[in-house]
Amino acid sequence: MDFELVRLAVPTLAKGLWLTAVLTVASIAIGFNLGLALAVMRLSKNRALSGFAKGYSTVFRGTPLLVQLFLFYYGLGQLSFVRDNPVLWWIVGDGAHCAVMALALNTAAYTSEILRGGLMSIPGGLVEAAQACGMSRLLCFRRITFPLAIRQALPAYGNELVLVVKGTSLASTITVLEITGHAKRLMSQTYAILEIFAIAGVLYLLINLVLITLVRLLEARLTRYLPR
Amino acid sequence: MELGLWQVWEGGWVSAILRGAAITIALGVASMAFGIVIGVACGLIKWARLFPLTLVVDFYTSIVRGVPELLIIYLLFFSSVEFVAQIAAAFGYEGLAGNGYAFTIAVVAIAAISGAYSTEVVRGALAAIPGGHIEAARALGIPGRRIFRRIIAPQMLRIAVPGMNNVWQTTIKDTALVSVVGLQELMRAAFVGAGSTRHPFIFYLIAAVVYLAITLVSQGGFDWIERLLRPRTRK
Amino acid sequence: MKLKSLLLATFFAAGLTAAQAAEGELSIGTEGEYPPWSMADSAGNVTGFDADVGNLLCAKLEMKCHFVVQAFDGLIPALKAKRFDIIISGMSITAERKKQINFSVGYAELANMFVVKKGSDLAGIKDIETLLKSLDGRTVGVQAGTTHAHFVEKRASSTDLKTYDTLDQMQIDLASGRVEAAFADASALQDFLARPDGKDFQFVDVKVLSTFDPTLGEGIGVGISQENTELKARIDKALCELVADGSIGKASQTWFKTDISRPCQ
Repeated sequence: MDFELVRLAVPTLAKGLWLTAVLTVASIAIGFNLGLALAVMRLSKNRALSGFAKGYSTVFRGTPLLVQLFLFYYGLGQLSFVRDNPVLWWIVGDGAHCAVMALALNTAAYTSEILRGGLMSIPGGLVEAAQACGMSRLLCFRRITFPLAIRQALPAYGNELVLVVKGTSLASTITVLEITGHAKRLMSQTYAILEIFAIAGVLYLLINLVLITLVRLLEARLTRYLPR
Repeated sequence: MELGLWQVWEGGWVSAILRGAAITIALGVASMAFGIVIGVACGLIKWARLFPLTLVVDFYTSIVRGVPELLIIYLLFFSSVEFVAQIAAAFGYEGLAGNGYAFTIAVVAIAAISGAYSTEVVRGALAAIPGGHIEAARALGIPGRRIFRRIIAPQMLRIAVPGMNNVWQTTIKDTALVSVVGLQELMRAAFVGAGSTRHPFIFYLIAAVVYLAITLVSQGGFDWIERLLRPRTRK
Repeated sequence: MKLKSLLLATFFAAGLTAAQAAEGELSIGTEGEYPPWSMADSAGNVTGFDADVGNLLCAKLEMKCHFVVQAFDGLIPALKAKRFDIIISGMSITAERKKQINFSVGYAELANMFVVKKGSDLAGIKDIETLLKSLDGRTVGVQAGTTHAHFVEKRASSTDLKTYDTLDQMQIDLASGRVEAAFADASALQDFLARPDGKDFQFVDVKVLSTFDPTLGEGIGVGISQENTELKARIDKALCELVADGSIGKASQTWFKTDISRPCQ
């Protein structure tokens, strides 16, 4: 390995690391809440609501993220009513904002499936008992259903978080300079393909390692009542 | 005519998109097939805990599962991977040019990704086979090869089908990433059409619909296989 | 074990020579999405100035042309991986690229220009230094891996530079207002201005030539792999003849309405 090259590449890629982290956190924050709403809708008795949630999840899980990203960025950017609406253009007009939207909508679909599994695993008796105690539906959801469901869903959700981190690399295809974007630009300047992509790969592995550790810690905290 | 439906028809893009879809499916099937071979080999290594080899397999699966697919594809396409050229030549891709070469590298890249996920599915399926079955077969003096063929493989196959369905869905979606390096598959056809007609919305929408059709049809196929493999119980 | 690896090696070697033995055929890597230089249609046929130069060259060398379409920033890696024999893709000869591959003599040269929205405060600027200073903090679109990208990175480093895989994507973003200015060669941008979505745009009247900054290269050449010195000699000779007899000039008139051919030195 060429040390001159490493000295050039590491600071540049580290700049991208920050943006990758921001994209990840923003997409997860939005995507988790959307996913939770979709999971609740999916389990609702209202056929329209559950049908919508099912259709949403099928469409977003059945098409590649890259297609969704290009459809939002180039496709919506072509429509004049989107361009003339300042709020919509704030989202679609900027590569990073648009990437967050696409990633959030995408991860919401997967999150809704994971949380639905968690919600369905809760014994009906618990909810009935809570209602018998006079808890409102919202309170019951906050105190009983949600904490139990999230405990159940956490391992699968950890995997989904890793997929979101990997998904942020696609933002580079719509001019966002996160890790992969910088790596590609460096590659076209130096042609040191293997070295640059190796460094970029290590950065991604580091992010994922941190993330997985955090999820494990949370898991341990949530299940500390269990004998070990 | 803001959407540009007419341009899609007029420019001959419908056939370009269909041709692209055919390449996407071919690429998905070929990568999945090689991915399963990798998955079964690596899954068996992990399950049987063949010591030095498990380290290699662990290294491979954690790299592929932790690093973005896009990065892996860029690396394979842009680095001077002469060995891929040699393998392609050995298999008779004479010109090494055109789509043949791009297709070969695309299969290598996607199969490597798909294989890592298959490994976990196969390992999980093997681990789910009750140990008693194998012990019982050993006690009956059935030879090892036959234990694998008659006891392990059929059960593994059945348990692995839902997981393999997931891997397939991911694999077919990952093929879209190869468009960024120029293989003329479905996404690339939409990409070129969007650029040249200046109607990206309709082109990417069509691409999304075609991908959705592929995933929904294959989902139905997997459901059918799952029913077929379900153990028949006497009533 | 030794025998096995030996067998394997001969197996690969046999396959490899079979692959390279396609004598009389010249495979040419080109971008296919850079009008009017190189355009691939939905069936994969390539037309444009690059295609004309390729066909003229093949006729001169008495070989058969075979075009391979590949994203611009992947052309050099693909040539090094022997995916094709040469690159003809409006590629400028630069010092950085020369470290990776060989080039033929430069056979064409074209001015590079900026395009902005009509009435933009950049539109009236007449000299390059003022223009580069005024770009501070603005969004500028270029194509990834081009001399244009490297030029802006070097000479106007505080711009917000957006790089695109294809010129079409860059033009879509220019038209939608995501970038304020685009930098490319005059012919490619002329093509954009002639389109419906380019009607609100204009050139900044500053021609940026390679004499201003060596990052912009030494004219446009054919890319050839470094091992292939024999082919380079034949291509150099053929190109000089084609420039001298006016064939390349004629092709240039067809696509650019002006003669951009560059005489051999």
